[in-house]
Amino acid sequence: MTDIRDGNGLAAAEKLYTQYGSRARELKASGKKVIGYLSALGPIEIMTAAGVLPIRLKGNVSEAISKGDAYMETIVCPFVRNVFDAAVKGKYDFLDGMVMPHQCDSIDRTNETWNYTLNLPYWHFLNMPHVADDPSIAFTKEILRIFVKSLEKYTGNKITDEAIAKAVAAHNQNRKLMRDLYDLRKSNPPLISGVEMMKVCVAAMSLPVEESSALIEAVTKEVKERTPAAGNPKAKRIMLIGDQIDDVAVIEAIESTGAYLVMDDLSTGSKMYWQDVDVTPDPLQGIAERYLRKLKIPTTFIGSAPTYQGILEERFGHMKNYVKEFKVDGAILFIYKYCDPYGFEVPAIKSYVEAAGAPVLYLEDEYSTSSLARVKTRIEAFLEMIA
Amino acid sequence: MAEEKKGRAVATSTAASIPKFVRGNLSATLKAKEEGKKVAAAFIADGQDEIMRAMDIVPAWGESFSGVCAAKRDAEKYLQKAESDNFSRSLCTYATCNIGFDMMREELGQAPEGAPWGGMARPDMMLGNGQLLCDPRFKWPQATQHYQQDVPVFVTNMYYPPWDPNGDHHEVEELYVKYAKEELHETVKFCEKITGKKMDWDRLAKTVELSDKTWDLFIDTYELRKHIPTPMDTGDAMNTMVPLTFNLGTQEAYDFYVSLKAELEQKIKDGIGVADPEKFRVIWAAGLPSWFALGDFQYFNSKGVVFPVEVTYRGCEKIERLDLPKTNDPLEHIAWRWVRYWTHWYDAAKKRPGSTPKVERIIEYIEDYKCDGAVFHSAFSCRSWHAGIMQQAATLKKVYEDIPILIMEGDIVDISSYNEADTHNRIDAFIETLAAHKARKG
Repeated sequence: MTDIRDGNGLAAAEKLYTQYGSRARELKASGKKVIGYLSALGPIEIMTAAGVLPIRLKGNVSEAISKGDAYMETIVCPFVRNVFDAAVKGKYDFLDGMVMPHQCDSIDRTNETWNYTLNLPYWHFLNMPHVADDPSIAFTKEILRIFVKSLEKYTGNKITDEAIAKAVAAHNQNRKLMRDLYDLRKSNPPLISGVEMMKVCVAAMSLPVEESSALIEAVTKEVKERTPAAGNPKAKRIMLIGDQIDDVAVIEAIESTGAYLVMDDLSTGSKMYWQDVDVTPDPLQGIAERYLRKLKIPTTFIGSAPTYQGILEERFGHMKNYVKEFKVDGAILFIYKYCDPYGFEVPAIKSYVEAAGAPVLYLEDEYSTSSLARVKTRIEAFLEMIA
Repeated sequence: MAEEKKGRAVATSTAASIPKFVRGNLSATLKAKEEGKKVAAAFIADGQDEIMRAMDIVPAWGESFSGVCAAKRDAEKYLQKAESDNFSRSLCTYATCNIGFDMMREELGQAPEGAPWGGMARPDMMLGNGQLLCDPRFKWPQATQHYQQDVPVFVTNMYYPPWDPNGDHHEVEELYVKYAKEELHETVKFCEKITGKKMDWDRLAKTVELSDKTWDLFIDTYELRKHIPTPMDTGDAMNTMVPLTFNLGTQEAYDFYVSLKAELEQKIKDGIGVADPEKFRVIWAAGLPSWFALGDFQYFNSKGVVFPVEVTYRGCEKIERLDLPKTNDPLEHIAWRWVRYWTHWYDAAKKRPGSTPKVERIIEYIEDYKCDGAVFHSAFSCRSWHAGIMQQAATLKKVYEDIPILIMEGDIVDISSYNEADTHNRIDAFIETLAAHKARKG
C-alpha cells in the first residue's frame, strides 16, 4: 500500500498516478473485489456500499492503440477506444467486473464489444436517462435499484440503505475535501499547479473512498504549508473544459508556457467534486438527483428555463462562476474527435464563456500525445493573443 | 461485359412515387404556416409520429433533408457553414448539414437559394429524443437552438431494456413501458402547450391503429422478397422505407404499401427478379447507406448480387409477433410496441450462447431470405448505427456460420470519404468470396 502521511501527499499522488491501478491490484490480491467503470456517471456510492472497490478506468495517451482496433471501430470516441485497448492488453487484468453507465453512443453502442471481449465475471450496463424530468428521476431510482440487486447477487452481500447512506456521507466528505484543495488554486499564483492537481484527481479515482480522502487531506496540508511563490503576476490564469482528460500532457503544454491552470470543468475534476448527494430518506433518491440533475454533463439534456439565455445559465452557469471565483483569464475547450455530445456544444459553450469574460480556445484532438506539438503551438498562440 | 450491360433488371415502379413523398413532406413544412399548422423539427423512429399526426403538427424531418442534400451531392455548402462555427467534421453529418442550412436560413431570413425543393420551414418547436442510440437526437436540436433561440426544444426519453445475456428482460419490461408511456405523456403536454390545442385521444387511437396496420402490411409486403428471384432489392428499399419512416400514421403511407405489395405479387407471378440471373443473395446487415452512392446497389445487381432483405429502415414488425398486452391507452400501446420491437429478439439470443439480439435478427433474416453473405456499411460520422458493427460481424461468424462478410466504409452525407473505384474493387473481391463460398457449400 502506498504510504500516505504528513508531508508526502504529493509524492503518493505521483506514485498512484504513474502506477495507475496499483492500489486496486493490491486490494484484489487481498481478496477485495474490484469493479471498473467509465465516466462521471459511475455511481460510486453504491459500489462503495457493496464493499467493492470502484476504479474509474483511464487509458494511456502515450500508447498507440494496437489491439483494440481489431474489435472496435475507429469512429468511436478515441478515449473509449484507448481505454478499451488498455483493457484488451491486460492493463486491468485485476478487474472482477465493470459498470458501463449509459453516457454516450460511444459507450452505449460498444457495450457488447466490451462485455463479450473482456468476458469478466460481472457486467452491468446502467441505463441512465438523457433527460432529467420527474419520470426520469423515478426511472433512475429503479435503474439504481436493479444495479443494487445485481451487485448483491454478485457479491453475495446485502446492500442496506444504511450502508448506502454511509457511503454517501463518505463520498460527500471526499468531495468537500477536494473542493477545499481546489480553493488553494484561487490565489495568484495558485498554491498547487495544474499538473499536480491532475495527478491528485487521477490518483483519487483509483482508491477506496477513505484512502482517497486521506490522500487529498495529506496533499492539502502539504500544499498549505508551502511558502507562496512570487510567481508571475502577468501569467494568465487558464480554465480547461472537456470530458475525461486524465493525463498531464495537455496541462504541461499549458503550464510550460508560463500560464497557470487554475480551474477545470472536466469529468475527472470539478464535475466529480462540485455537487454532493443530498441526504434523503431513500438514499437512492439523492443519488438519482445528483447524477441526473446536479451533474452537468452534455449527455443529460437541460432546457427547462423559459428563455435561451436562461437555458444557457442552467447548462453553463457554473462555468461563469468558475471564471469569477478563480479569476480565469482564458479557457481551453478540449474536445475529443468523434464526440457528438461535446462537439455539438462547442458554439454555445464558446460564446457563453467568452461572454463571461474569458476568451476560449477550442481544440479538437485525439486522446493521444501524437499531436501534442501542434496542440502546444495553438495554446502558445492563444496565450499570446490574450496577453 | 455483356452480363454487366444487363444491369438491374427492374426497380419497382411503385418506388417511383417516393420523390413525391419526400418533396411533399418538405413542402408540407413550407405550407404549414398558411394552413395554420405548427411545424416540429423531428426525428424518425422516435415513437412520436402518431402524436404529431393526431395533433396536426407537421414534422420537419432533418434526416430526410440532409439525405436529400447528400443524394443531390449538394451538402458541402451546408457542412462548411456548420464547420465555420466550429461544428467538427467528425460529428453526425445529418446534423451538421441541417444545422448549416438552418444557420443560412436564419441569416438570410429565408431558405438559401438552391436548397433542395425549397428547403424546410423554420420550425415552431423541436422534438428531440434520448434513446439507446443516437446522441444527435437530443444534441442536434439543442445545438440548433443556438441559432433559433426562440424555438422551444423538448426531449423525450424512450428507452428499452438493454441486452444482458445473464439477465431476464421480461422482469424489467413493464418498468420500461411505464417510463416510455410517461415520457410520451410529457411530449403530449408539450405539444398541447405549443399548439394551444388539446389532444384528441380518439383520433390518436385511430392513428395508432392505422400505424399498426401499416406495420403489418409493410412486413407482409417485404416478406414477398423471400421469393427466388427476389422481386425487390435493398437499393429500392432505401426509397420505399420513406412512407413507413416519415409518414407513419397516415393513409398515404398505408396505401403506398398496398400498391407495392400488389406490384411485388405481380412480379413474382411473372417471374421477374431484380437480377437476371440472380447469382447471390446477400443481407444488408447494418448501417445507413451512402445517400450519394446509392448506385452501388445497382453495381451489385449488375453482377448478379441481390439484397432481398436489410436490417436498416425495417423499423417495424408484425404486431402479432410482438405479443403486445391489450390496452385502451394509445400511448401505452406505443410504449409496448416500442419496447417489444427491440426486445423480441432477446429470447432467441438467449438460446444461442455467445449471440446477441442484433446478430440473432441477422441470422433470422439470413435463414428466412436464404442469404449467402452479409454486407455492413460503416459511416464515419455516425456512431449511433455504426459503432459495434465489427462485433456483430465477428459474433455472426462465431455463433452461426463463417459466411462471407463485407464491411464497406464511407459516410451518410459527406462525399469526401467516398471513392467509387475503391468501393467497386472491394465489392468485386467480395463477390469472388461469395462464389468460392457457394462452391464450397455445393
